[in-house]
Amino acid sequence: MFIDRSMTKRVVTIGKETNILEARDLMKENRIRHLPVVEPDGKLIGIVTDRDIRSAMPSTLQDELNCEAVDDKLRQVTVGRFMTPDPITIRPTYTIQDALLLIQDKKVGAFPVVDEAGKLKGIISVRDLIRAFINVLNIGEPGMLLGILVEDKVGQLKRIVDAITEEKVSFGSVLVSRHWEEGKRAVFPYLLTNNIAPIKKKLRDMGYTILDPMEWYLDQLPRHE
Amino acid sequence: MRRTGFLYDERYLLHCTGSCHPESPERLKAAYKGIEDAGLLPKLTRIDAVPAQQRWIEKVHHINYILRFEEACLLGMDELDYPDNQMCRETYDTAMLAVGGILETVKMVMEDKIDNAFCAVRPPGHHAEVNKAMGFCYFNNVAIAARYLQEEWGIERVGIVDFDVHHGNGTQHIFEYDPTVYYYSIHEHPSFAFPGTGREFEKGADAGQGYTLNTPVLPGQGDREYLDLIKRDLLPAFEFFQPEFILASTGFDAHAEDDMSDIKLSTEMFTWIMKILMGLADTYAHGRIVSVLEGGYSIQRLPELIKNHVEVMMTP
Repeated sequence: MFIDRSMTKRVVTIGKETNILEARDLMKENRIRHLPVVEPDGKLIGIVTDRDIRSAMPSTLQDELNCEAVDDKLRQVTVGRFMTPDPITIRPTYTIQDALLLIQDKKVGAFPVVDEAGKLKGIISVRDLIRAFINVLNIGEPGMLLGILVEDKVGQLKRIVDAITEEKVSFGSVLVSRHWEEGKRAVFPYLLTNNIAPIKKKLRDMGYTILDPMEWYLDQLPRHE
Repeated sequence: MRRTGFLYDERYLLHCTGSCHPESPERLKAAYKGIEDAGLLPKLTRIDAVPAQQRWIEKVHHINYILRFEEACLLGMDELDYPDNQMCRETYDTAMLAVGGILETVKMVMEDKIDNAFCAVRPPGHHAEVNKAMGFCYFNNVAIAARYLQEEWGIERVGIVDFDVHHGNGTQHIFEYDPTVYYYSIHEHPSFAFPGTGREFEKGADAGQGYTLNTPVLPGQGDREYLDLIKRDLLPAFEFFQPEFILASTGFDAHAEDDMSDIKLSTEMFTWIMKILMGLADTYAHGRIVSVLEGGYSIQRLPELIKNHVEVMMTP
């Protein structure tokens, strides 16, 4: 799961001489929030976010007063003046996990992806990562989620996978997560089937507890008797 | 008493899904038994199945899919697209008879030979996509009926109500961009149930924006929530849309004793839902409603549920 499979490769870029109005329009047209700033040879020198643009622009309310004159002035403002120079970048060989952890740590919305020479290869944004995660979960395929409570010991997942496989059901994905009960884990297979009842029964017969995600939720709903 | 049609054909039992499959021929036998034992048969207009003309199926499904499905059956393959869709050599012919029977039924309503009808068919249809079999469904029966109503009978606005406990992904996707067919579905919330579509924010697209409406219901809920949600969502939707004909994707799997879902409706609630649909048909569609069987897997409960369903249709 390297990010070059998930990143946006056809990146909309600008040069540092681009003016702020052009940059704003490019973002609007392409519905994006990050514009890498590159040299003519493709070397990355900075990044402009929609927030950079908004803070560099006069208020929209002010615009109403003297639109033309303000726009003329703004056309003199080039990206080089307000971009973030030398932004945090990652390499195409980074993994999705690297990107997820880094994006959480650095609290940014996107990373430009550059090669060893510093040339821009792509960009990976929170949106790209969400798309990658939806693909990993496989929730675009028809299926349903099952929650199983298991002992936190080796070999549980194998038993579950074997039991489900015997029923000729394919897996969309399997998540394993901590559970609030000590010594337990929760296994969430996303199964590509509409025929879940026999699987639930089989797992119960094997001694597993099927998690009812609504148990705790329903207690919190307002009841109207 | 209304002139209610009843589509049933023993050839619908020929689609075999192997042992242990919930979508079994037993379901339809149970449906028939419910109606027969209650003495309703003489009061109903019996309709026999006829194979559909392929041109109507092509209004919804891609020709490549139709041929692929037929070929899979001819080759004796036992599944199509997903292991859920178990089949036998007769499956294709049975699916053709299901569509053909429903179109014949719709025709009889349009010719004023009957007022409304219940179609006890197999295989079901609402999960079937344009080019894919899914969730025990091969041809999207209701979607094809909607296109037939529009193109053969000049009906401009068809309203579809899907109360099977699973979301009818196929039907929704087929009409997503189309403002002439309104798709309403109430079902178990897609984060907890097959097929994982039918979220509140799926409301149609482009010209069809606002002509799809989904009411997802959280697991564990029952009559009270259904009653409130149907009043909140479906009634204003159809007042806005004014359907000229109503097609019901009828599923009984939201019943408390049906183990295909975690929704807990009572037997009486299904009667209430059908009364609501009959009221909508009378208000907007000159009483024209055709109910087509989708899911419902409790062999014990189906006879009574289906008997009640048909009785509501017969009641003036």
